Formats: sequence, C-alpha cells, structure tokens
Amino acid sequence: MSHALSLSQLRKSYGTQSVLAGVSFEVPKGAIVGLLGPNGAGKSTLIRSIMGIVSPDEGTIELDGKPWSLERVRGIGYLPEERGLYKDMRVGDQAVYFSRLKGMGKSEAVRELRLWFEKLEVEGWWDKKVSDISKGMAQKIQFICTVVHKPGLLILDEPLSGFDPINARLIIQEVRALAAEGTSILLSTHDMPSVERLCDNVVLLNQGQVVLSGAADDLRESGWTGEQDVVFRGNDIAFTNALGALAHLESIGPDTVEGTRRAHLRLRDTTPPGQLLQALGGAVEVLEFVKVRPTMESLFIQAVNASENPATTS
Amino acid sequence: MRGSLIGTVIEREWRTRVTKRSFLIGTLLMPFLSVGVIVATVLLTEATDTSNLVLVEDAPGLITRLDRASGQYVPRCPGCFPEREKHAYRFVREAPADSVWQAQGYTVLVEFDESILQNHAGYMVYEKSPGVNAKRYVERDLSRAVEHARVLESTALDWSAYQELKVDIQLVDREVTEAGDRTDGGGEEIRGIIGFLFSAVLFLVLAVYGGLILRSVVEEKSNRVVEVLIAAVQPEALLLGKVIGMGAVALTQIVAWSLLSTLAFTAFQWAFDSGAFTGGLVADGGVPVDLMTTMAENEFTAILLDINWGLMVLSTVAFFIGGYLLYGSLYAAIGGLVQSEQEGQGMVFPVIMPLMFSYVIGSSAMSNPEMGILPWLSWFPLTSPVIMLVRVAVGVVWWEVALSWLLLMLTARGILALAGRAYRQGVLHDGKSTGWGLLRQWLQGHGK
Repeated sequence: MSHALSLSQLRKSYGTQSVLAGVSFEVPKGAIVGLLGPNGAGKSTLIRSIMGIVSPDEGTIELDGKPWSLERVRGIGYLPEERGLYKDMRVGDQAVYFSRLKGMGKSEAVRELRLWFEKLEVEGWWDKKVSDISKGMAQKIQFICTVVHKPGLLILDEPLSGFDPINARLIIQEVRALAAEGTSILLSTHDMPSVERLCDNVVLLNQGQVVLSGAADDLRESGWTGEQDVVFRGNDIAFTNALGALAHLESIGPDTVEGTRRAHLRLRDTTPPGQLLQALGGAVEVLEFVKVRPTMESLFIQAVNASENPATTS
Repeated sequence: MRGSLIGTVIEREWRTRVTKRSFLIGTLLMPFLSVGVIVATVLLTEATDTSNLVLVEDAPGLITRLDRASGQYVPRCPGCFPEREKHAYRFVREAPADSVWQAQGYTVLVEFDESILQNHAGYMVYEKSPGVNAKRYVERDLSRAVEHARVLESTALDWSAYQELKVDIQLVDREVTEAGDRTDGGGEEIRGIIGFLFSAVLFLVLAVYGGLILRSVVEEKSNRVVEVLIAAVQPEALLLGKVIGMGAVALTQIVAWSLLSTLAFTAFQWAFDSGAFTGGLVADGGVPVDLMTTMAENEFTAILLDINWGLMVLSTVAFFIGGYLLYGSLYAAIGGLVQSEQEGQGMVFPVIMPLMFSYVIGSSAMSNPEMGILPWLSWFPLTSPVIMLVRVAVGVVWWEVALSWLLLMLTARGILALAGRAYRQGVLHDGKSTGWGLLRQWLQGHGK
C-alpha cells in the first residue's frame, strides 16, 4: 500500500550541527499523524525539507508513492508555523491569490473560498484588509488558504497557535472532517490534548531522530504502567484486604453522598486486570473499573528523557 | 503551468499597487503638476505684464511731432509705438515733476536727449518696476523710432524704402556626418538638456521602483508570506513575476503620465488660445497671442517645444524596460539576501553606482553633449539606459540605439537568471548569515 508521504533516512546538517539524523516514517493515506518533539528537535527542518524549502543532505522523500517533485509538492496544503499574510491586501483577494498559485481557476477559487469562509464564520471579512482583522481571524484565513484546493496531503505546523478554545475546537472539527474525507494529515504541534483528540499515529522527534512512533492508541497502551481507577461501594478494609499482593493502593478519595469511593491503584507487573477485578468483586461492590493509560504528554516527557539519558531511565 | 503562475504573481503585484490610493494620487498629480509648471510659467510671464502707461519725454524733438488737430505730440514714425493691451505711450516735450506725472496716472517716464543718437542710451524712470516685457517693448519701440529719425536725417531714403533694404541674416547650422553628408545641425546644448531631463526621469523611476522591489521582497520575508509562496512557486519564477509586475506598474504610470500630460496640455492650449487667460491679448502684428508663440518667447518653455516627444517617449520606455529588468532583478536579489530594508540599502549602494555615475555624466552632457566618453557609456549596459537617452535627444544613428538596446536586453536576461539564483539562495536560506556574508557563501559554494 502506498503512503501519502514516506520519508527514508532523511539527514540534514548545518555545518557541524546535525538537525536531521536519519529520519524515517510514513503518513498513511487518510491518517492524521502527529509530529511531536521538543523545541529544536528538527520538526520544522523536516517539514521544510518535505516542502522543498530546505534540501536534505541525504535520504528520500516519496509523495503518494512517487519520488519527490516540485509539481507534487504544489499539491500539498502547507500551513507553516511562521505564517503571514499581505497586510495591505484585502482578505478575499489574498485568499484567491493563494488559491490560484495552487492551480485553481479564479471563479472556482472564489466559489470554494466563499464556502469555507461561511464554514469558519469569517464571511463578513472578505473585503477587509488584513491589517484590520484580529490575529485569530488571520489564522482562520491562513487555514482556509491551506485547505481550499482540496489537497491530498496536509502539513499543518502548529495550526492551533493563536486560537481561543472555541475557534481551536472549530479547527479541530474541520481537520477531523478533512481526514474523514480521505485527506492525509501531518500535524506538528506542542498541544498534547489536540494530539490525543486528533491523531491516529504519532512520531516523536528528539535531536533529529525518531525516538517514538506508532499508532497513538498502541503507544498509550504499551506505555500503560498498571494504573487503574476503581469506584466501589463497601467496606474500606475489605477493599484493601482484597488488593492483597495484586496491586498497590496509590490513593483513595473521600466518601461521596451516594456512599461510593474512588481509589487509584497500580497493579503488580504480573497481575492481569481481570484477576484483580475478580478479587475486588468478592469484597466490595465494584461500580467502575477503568484502566488509566498514560497521557501523550507523559509519554512525550518519558520518551524525551529516555532518549537524552538512556542510562538513568532504562 | 509555470507561465500561468508567473502571470498570477505579476497580476497581484500590478493590481495591489495600481489600486493603492498613493499610486492613483501620484499618477494623477504628476501630469497636472508638470503641466501646471508650464501654465504657471506662461501665466506668470503674462501676469508680470502689468498695465503701463509710458510717458516719453522727447526733449530734442527727435521722434515726435505736434499733431495740430489733436494738439498732442505723436510719433514721427508710423507704427513704431504700437498700441498694446497693457502698454500705451504718451509723448511730451517736457515732462512735469515726478510726483505730477505719477499723479497723472503714468507708471514710467522715458527720458533722453540728443546724445541718444551717438550713445544709444536713455533713462527709464519709475516708482515700481514695470517688468521685463515692458522694458523690452520700450527699448524695441524707442530703437525703431530713433532709427527712423537717423534714416530721415542721414539718408535720402524714405522709411519704407529703408525697411525694404534692411537685411537680417540668419545662419542655419549644418553638420557634416561621418558619411560625408550634410544634415541639420545646431541646438545641441538645448537637445542635451532635453536628453538629460528624460534620463533624469528614467534614473528616478529606476531608483524608486528598484527600492520598491527591495522593500516588497524584504516584507515578504519578514511577514513570512514567502514561505507559503515558495511552496507553490519556484523562487526564480517568483522573482521574475515580482520584477515584471512592478515594472508593469511603472510602465502603467509612465503611460498614464504621458496621456494625462498630453490631455492636460491640450486643454490648457485650447483655453489659452481661446483667450480664457489672456483676455484676447493681441501681439505686435495684430495677431491674437497663441500658446506656442508665448512658450517660444520663454527660455524654459521654448525647450519643451524643441522636444521630439514621440521619439523621446519611445526611447525612454524601451530603455526603461531594459534598465528596469537589469536593476530591478539586482534589487530583488539583494532583497532576498538581506533581513531588513536598512541592510538592503547598504548592499544596494555599490550596485547602483554605475547608474549614479551615468546620471552625473548625463548632467555634464547638458553643457557638452558631444563628450567623447558618451558613446562608450551609451553602449555599456549598466550605463546605457541613462546615457543613450541623452544621445538620442542630441542625435544618433538608429543602429547604434538598436545595438545598445539589444546589448542591454541580453545583459538584463543574464542578470535576471543570476539574480533568480541569488534570490533562491536568500529566501530558502535559514542559517545565520545574511547580506554580504550570504552572498559570499553562495558565490563560494553555490554560485556555479
């Protein structure tokens, strides 16, 4: 199966400083892939290499299963992190200009843009100058300019920066909708909650190398350290006794008005969750038994620390 | 596809600039200002012709006689003191005291005695200067009247016979060409001035629009639009679109200036010739004063009449295109290499040195339009846009102009390709070096 984007052993150095040290990963068709990494990890250089703005020293880039070419790059919807608009141009004219540079005809561009302006609730700003609109509004316009030509591959570098929570939700909704329509998306961001909400796959870069990659669910599953939340009704001592050697009680909350309590446990390495549930069920009434998987943020921190201090984290 | 993208870039550059209020104001204002200078010059000349009633005291009785019917002194020479719109004469043998003739409404008193026949001098007495034209009228009229008196006194000829015998020689300049032919010559200085005026305009437009390109490129880099642009358009194509787009703006302005100036001048000419400004002023010979005649009498406006406007505008446009492509692409490349407009200005200076040098030489050519260095500079592409215009105005064979233009266009093509590569290096570069450092890096590593 061909991927929307496939990188193989991409390397780039500036002088003696290696920025990309053999990066390889794929963006499957129709998937949202989160590109994560601390500042200076090489994310922007990687994206600029894909877009042909930076020439990699080594490695190959394939777009839609075919070798990289400028013509194929033109089909990508690219929202750079440091993005701008012409301040002295009208919003509508500017959006039409960018659309035409992406190969759309003028009337087609106007028609599609009008739809997007309506969808993102900026239809009243068509004739305004960019200097007259807010930063958030400009971000929306930039997003529209990126997606209006219906690209097969979208590269979004920090697409939510500058948005308030309401507008961020609107953008997330649209990104999801695009992915549902089959658009492949590479999303570079520091916003971990949005990665959890949006991404099917995750690639974590640190010091120019991929230190973690895979399906987001799999990564969180494999990063699970036995944490479990239990809501129960019954005697505390009976509950604690039932834990026995199967799990360690990390914390327990106060009684609620309904007479229930919430406990946070950590299972021993060898304990299957089913065995614990069975043991607790015999002692108290178990109302909830929820596996607490690590957040993307904790996985991120863990992986970065592990790559930077392999001796202490192993 | 590449062509249509360049077209899209050109269209944006052109549209955003020609719809700016500042462009519209500049385009509309400039022709009216230039025609306004002509109007002001002509009208000021007319306005300085204040009404003058001149009292001529002919104490020796050389030029006047008593007309018994009217009891007034009148000129002996018929037609020597013509009545003009704002200039009239009265004659007396003995003028009253200054305060008296002034109280009587005279503005000027002209005094002379018999010595005027030998030393050709008299006095003009006034409280307020009557103006240059009034003085010229009095000198001319009095000279003719005294000449009339001398002819009658010293010769047996009557005045009309003398007028017929008078000869006024005019020398017509003829130049021997290299081919041995004779052609019309003369007036090189005036034509040199005309050529310099056009080359100065070209120099200004090149410098102004070059500066605009620099600013535009730096702005696109600083507001990060360029990152989005080069994801869609190759940097070389972007530079070409930008240079051509801005050039089209400049050409639009030049064409608009030419058309509007012609329109404004024609309107002024129509109004002037129909007497709207002169109140039906009549010249010496009784012919109504027209604009062309009035302009021909003024040193400044006379130069404008000497211009072969068609040839000069055509040459200006042709050499502007070449010069602009050459210098515009250099400005754009510099814009790509620097981080700020200020840094760019520092790099621009050595690049436009040849242009400034040619401007200085062009100004010297006003007084010496046949300078030996001019032909060389008019062929050298970095100086030809400015210098060739001076030579076109003075007179040059057509093939020299064509060859110089061809050389200019070929060089511009080469510089454009080179600038495109420097621009690519500049806008795609994300290291720390900028300006000269980046240029050096490019020349060392990527200039091949």
